[in-house]
Parts: sequence; structure tokens; C-alpha cells
Amino acid sequence: MIMPAGRHLLLPANPRFILASLFLALLLNMLLGLSGQSWLPDVLALALVFWTIHQPHHVGMLTAFVLGVAMDVHESALLGQNALAYVCLSFMASMVHRRVLWFPVREQPLQLLPLFVAAAVVEWLTRLITHDAWPHWSQLLAPLLQTALWPLCSHLLLAPQRRPVERDDIRPL
Amino acid sequence: MALDSIGSNPPPFFRQGLSALSKLVLFGLLSVLLMAADHRLGVSQPIRSAVSLVLAPVQWLALLPQRGSSAVQDYFKGVDEARDAARQYQARTIAQAQRLQQAEQLLQENQHLRQLLDLRQDTAGPSRAVQVLYETADPYTHNIVIDKGALSGIAAGSAVVDVAGVVGQVTRVHPLSSEVTLLTDRDQSIPVLNARTGQRYIAMGDPTTLGGSLELRFVPASADLQEGDLLTTSGIDGVYPAGLQVGRVKQIDRRIDTAFAKVHATPMAQTRGRHMLVLAPVSDWPARPTKPEPAVRTRPGRGQASAPKTGASAPTGDKP
Repeated sequence: MIMPAGRHLLLPANPRFILASLFLALLLNMLLGLSGQSWLPDVLALALVFWTIHQPHHVGMLTAFVLGVAMDVHESALLGQNALAYVCLSFMASMVHRRVLWFPVREQPLQLLPLFVAAAVVEWLTRLITHDAWPHWSQLLAPLLQTALWPLCSHLLLAPQRRPVERDDIRPL
Repeated sequence: MALDSIGSNPPPFFRQGLSALSKLVLFGLLSVLLMAADHRLGVSQPIRSAVSLVLAPVQWLALLPQRGSSAVQDYFKGVDEARDAARQYQARTIAQAQRLQQAEQLLQENQHLRQLLDLRQDTAGPSRAVQVLYETADPYTHNIVIDKGALSGIAAGSAVVDVAGVVGQVTRVHPLSSEVTLLTDRDQSIPVLNARTGQRYIAMGDPTTLGGSLELRFVPASADLQEGDLLTTSGIDGVYPAGLQVGRVKQIDRRIDTAFAKVHATPMAQTRGRHMLVLAPVSDWPARPTKPEPAVRTRPGRGQASAPKTGASAPTGDKP
């Protein structure tokens, strides 16, 4: 198995954990949306990109599409607006997933910034074409915040895979 | 399987499914199709209703923290505020009592006069108290979601009012919830009447100016409008009952280079409130005048090519 030097070998991801984390991200995204601030990061997109990069055989564009439609209905936005952005995001993530994992976690955000910006641009273009509506400048912050949250998200979501292979109750740590 | 995890089974070599590009094209086209169905064709309501029904428990879960925090806030606001509010309402009730008694008499008198003049009745339909669930997060639209839907008898097109005036209109009805488009949404418009002069205008939503306002369109530069004029619903649309307060004229911008004035008004209703009233559409139009129609209708481009096509070019439908 080829892998970057000095990296732990991880446990296989639990599909139930993936599902639960995506569900939680959806809930959190709905909760953040209630505040009415458009600069808040899209947590669901972050979780989606994370799992597309780490588990491309479990989470892909179908998941992205379904979650996107759910967000559209919740936000009462144009049906398909978030879905298109998420599908594009998931596609780009699956394009770069082999490359990104070779970088250490602190350098991965730089690789992912273009993805989040591109997904945001897709959404803005959609609205510009259909409703002739310009985005508010504060929406520019959202992709940056999503990128900044990547290391945290990475640590949180990989934590279950970092457990020891055999549980040892006597071990001090 | 990821690069650096212990795999229980190797990644599939031959059963890879669709390629990433074809998946992108497939789902991208599906999204575009949905957008077209939603924006151009307007046939996406069943999809929305179905998804919202599935999503309802998730939304309920997501709204729990907000509900909890508002309950705690309410608790800590204390008795003083409640007492103040009660006193205010009492004062207001006393002030309104006299007018209310007069209104009863005026209502009867009005009804009598309308019967005498053979005018259309402007009765308000049944109303229904609703609670606001949340404000939608989409930054391009101004919508709120209320907690009653088609199962509670909410109809699309109903007017939504609060204590101060019109809030908006129910635009989408799901089984358990409905979406209300606020007056300040860019696609929303409402026919209004200047209460001082009796002139009618159309107020369109303008989300950018003055932090969400109404813009009166096609107002002649010479129109009799003053700042502070009260705008009410005119009631000629068959949707909003007449006489509901909509807004006040805030600024008038008359320019030399155009024949129209730019008029902005601030809405009366406070959209941050939690309790609102949904009024059923008025829709008691007078019966459509029966028009003698030609006995045989010929469709152009079908049937006999030699038939005279005089009927096809004549207007067949007229709006009431």
C-alpha cells in the first residue's frame, strides 16, 4: 500500500458514522441558516467534500444531489440551485481526491479553496441567469470560512478511524 | 477505499459504475431540468411537497434549539415586561372600544348602502392564526415558512397579515407548512391605494433600498403623492381584502429626465413577529358576462386547410 510517510494507518470508516455525520451537517446547516446571515459557512458542503475525498466509494454525486435538493426545499430557493452546486463540488472533489491526501492537513485547505469558490460561483451564476440577482458581498466570505474550517472538520471526522485496532482497557492512554 | 486506511476488501477494479464525468453530466442535467421545471414551467410543486414532507421531522429537529432558546428568553424576560405589555394592550383596547362600537354600526350602514347601490360585497374570508417557523436562508429571496399547510386548509395566494398590516402572500403550500413571500421580495407585487387621494398603484418589492422596501412603479412625475401617505390594499385584485394597511411613502424622487417618479415606501408590518393571520383569498368576482360564442370553432393549422380562418384571429378570451 502506497501512502505518505509518517502517517498513521487508519481504521476503515464506518458507513453509519458517515451517514450520521452528513445528517448532523444537514441539521447544523439548517440551524445556521436560521440566523439569516449569508456569510456563515456551508457546513454540509464541507462534510460532503470531506467524505468525497476520503471515501469516494461511499459518498459521491448522488448523495450530493439528494442533499442539495433537500437544502433547496428547506431554503425555498430555486429547486436545483444547491443541488447543482453540490454536484459540481462533489465532482471536483472526486477529481482531486488522490492528490489532496498526499498533502499534510495544514496544506490541504489551499488545495480546496478553488473548489469552494467554484461551487459558490456556480450558485451565483445560477441566480444571475434565472433571477438577475447579484449576490451580497458578505457571501464572498462563506467559501473562505469553509476552507478555514477544513482542518477542524478533518480532525473531527477522522477521529473514529484513529482509534487503536484492538481495544485495550489497561492501556494508560 | 482511501489511500491510508486498513481495507477489509480491495477497491473494485471492474465494477466502477458510471464514470465521474458522466455522473456530473447526468446530475447536472437533472439539476438544470429541476430549475427549468421550477422557474419556467412551474410544475415542481409535487416534488417540493414530497421532499418537504420527508424533511419535516429533520426541520423540527433543527428548530429545537431555537425554540428552546426563545423559551428560556421568554422566561427570563420577567414579569415586569409582561405586565407592561398587558397594560399597553388594555389601554389600546379601551381606545379601540369606542371605534369598534362605531365600526359595527358603520359596517351595517355600509352593507345597506352597498345593497342599495348593488355593489360587490367585500367580505373577508375565514382567517387562520399561524406561527412563523423560520426565515429561509436563501439570500436571494425574502420568504418565511409558517407552521400550517394544506392539511390545515391554507390555500396558495392567501394574504398574510400581522397586527400592523400586510406581511405578504402564501406562495407555496406544502402538506405541513407553507411558504410566505414577503412584500419586500423582488418578485412580489401588491396593488395598493393611496388612502389620502384614492389613486391606485402597484407596489413591487425592492430588497436593496432602505433595507427592504416597496417601490411604486409607473407613477407619473406629476402624481399627487406626499411623504408619509398611507398605502392600503385596493381590493380590486380579488386576492387581498380591501383596506389592509401596506406601508407608508418614505421617499419620492422626481427627476427631470424621466416621466415617472421613483417612489419608495416602507412596509407597515414587522416581519420579525412570530404570530400572523392568513386571510383566505376574497375571490368573489362578479359572474363573468356571458358572451354569445360562435357555434363552430375552427383551429388554425388543423382539419380542412381550405376552411376560412376568420375565427382564429379574433380574440377568444377576455380578462375580467
